[in-house]
Amino acid sequence: MENIPILEVENLYKRFGTCEVLSGISFNVRKGEVVAVIGPSGSGKSTMLRCINLLEKIEGGSIRVAGDVMVTTDKSGKVIYAPEKELRKIRLRLGMVFQSFNLFPHFSVMRNITEAQVHVAKKSPQEAAEIARELLEKVGLSDKADAYPYQLSGGQAQRVAIARALAMNPDILFFDEPTSALDPELTAEVLKAMQDLAAEHMTMVIVTHEMNFARDVSDRVIFMDKGVIVEEGKPSDIFTNPQNERTRAFLKGFMDQF
Amino acid sequence: MFENMNFSGIWQNFSSVPGDLLRQLKLLGIGTLTSLEIFVLTLVFSLPLGLLVAFGRMSRNKIVSTVIKAYILVMRGTPLMLQLIFIYFAPSYMLPESLKINLDRFVAAIIAFSLNYAAYLAEIYRAGIESIALGQYEAAAVLGFTKSQTFFRIILPQVIKRILPPVGNEVITLVKDTALVTTLGISELFRAARNESARISSTTPLFIAGVFYLIMNYVVTKVFDMLEKKLSYYR
Ligand SMILES: Nc1ncnc2c1ncn2[C@@H]1O[C@H](COP(=O)(O)OP(=O)(O)OP(=O)(O)O)[C@@H](O)[C@H]1O
Ligand SMILES: [Mg+2]
Repeated sequence: MENIPILEVENLYKRFGTCEVLSGISFNVRKGEVVAVIGPSGSGKSTMLRCINLLEKIEGGSIRVAGDVMVTTDKSGKVIYAPEKELRKIRLRLGMVFQSFNLFPHFSVMRNITEAQVHVAKKSPQEAAEIARELLEKVGLSDKADAYPYQLSGGQAQRVAIARALAMNPDILFFDEPTSALDPELTAEVLKAMQDLAAEHMTMVIVTHEMNFARDVSDRVIFMDKGVIVEEGKPSDIFTNPQNERTRAFLKGFMDQF
Repeated sequence: MFENMNFSGIWQNFSSVPGDLLRQLKLLGIGTLTSLEIFVLTLVFSLPLGLLVAFGRMSRNKIVSTVIKAYILVMRGTPLMLQLIFIYFAPSYMLPESLKINLDRFVAAIIAFSLNYAAYLAEIYRAGIESIALGQYEAAAVLGFTKSQTFFRIILPQVIKRILPPVGNEVITLVKDTALVTTLGISELFRAARNESARISSTTPLFIAGVFYLIMNYVVTKVFDMLEKKLSYYR
């Protein structure tokens, strides 16, 4: 069981119109692993996360979550998604945190975190509130339970979004540039929350432009460019000794700092 | 009908014949009840119907969206008074002899009003629904909410807050539009006022009717102010 990857992505293809955005992406994520995805703007990082989280339909390839097939492609090239019911089950194992937080503005912070627990996971309101309080404490926002999203700073909002995703107890949590919409001084508090999760061996895939964070916190770095994975490896290798020319060019600015 | 009216008689009537004034108030009060009935029933039917029409308008099914577009065009593009008359008389002209029904004028009025207002409301709903950020749908989807949970728990509450002002506009217009059913001979506020006005050759009843409409819309305005305030707890 421990050896089955939580996430297996194979030969993923995605087009928007005639523009091919993902051209055969393959990678695995193991339980407890923290994977950082880096790459230039437009390389398809967001699109990849969105395909895995069923926000976009793929044109080819397969995705398995904990061994269960979410989508696969047959020999004739036909893409076959699992039945709706199965997809709903698989989806509950995935959590996602967006760049723009996407909190529900009409719900209090507490209700943002409890709503899906109660109405999707069918937990009792008491249990959901209990879990929400624990998670809020974990992200350092116990005093904001009754606040509304418009009353939060960006950093606080993103930490609530993280708590909201964690409340569904996902096997793997995806982040799409979680700090890109934040001022530098607010970025730190969100990165800290994510670092705490990493320390608890939460399985995470993080698209980020925070190279220091990728280097210090991730177990593996994936470098994407133009819809393909150009290079992947330990952060120490990728950041100090990139093999590919494109990786080197991309990291040039950052490597000088190290 | 208006030719023998004495337009200077308003104040005369107010001061000199209090007994007559009471009679007028009572007559117009009864008419007002009918107007209110039409008003309430139209809202009860058109508010949900408008949502269905909005869904049809936004449907990805080309046939559905085209039919609904045509429906909205006709409803907004022709006079409501004409629609009233059409719906009242059409069944008895267009249906074959054996199927002929005589639509009650009140029922015809409610049908015409509901169909007409649903078209306007649908466009308001649509604007509201389309103004909600895609991120709200996506956040709901990754949390596992079903489509209908997403709509009713996440989207619709936000839509309602945003469309309150334009819906308020429609509701105020509806109060005044109820006067149109007088065309079908339903004795509501406007008809009562006009008949009485002609009978006693005075504009007083019409003036009072105006005040009644104004009072109704004052209440409508207050209700919408209250709703807006109630939903102002978030942005
Ligand atoms: N809905 C869409 N319709 C058409 N093209 C799209 C759509 N979404 C993304 N694209 C295109 O796909 C390509 C990859 O976009 P994507 O957002 O995945 O890149 P990214 O690596 O996340 O970039 P960034 O670092 O700027 O976030 C871009 O060229 C973009 O213009
Ligand atoms: Mg992106």
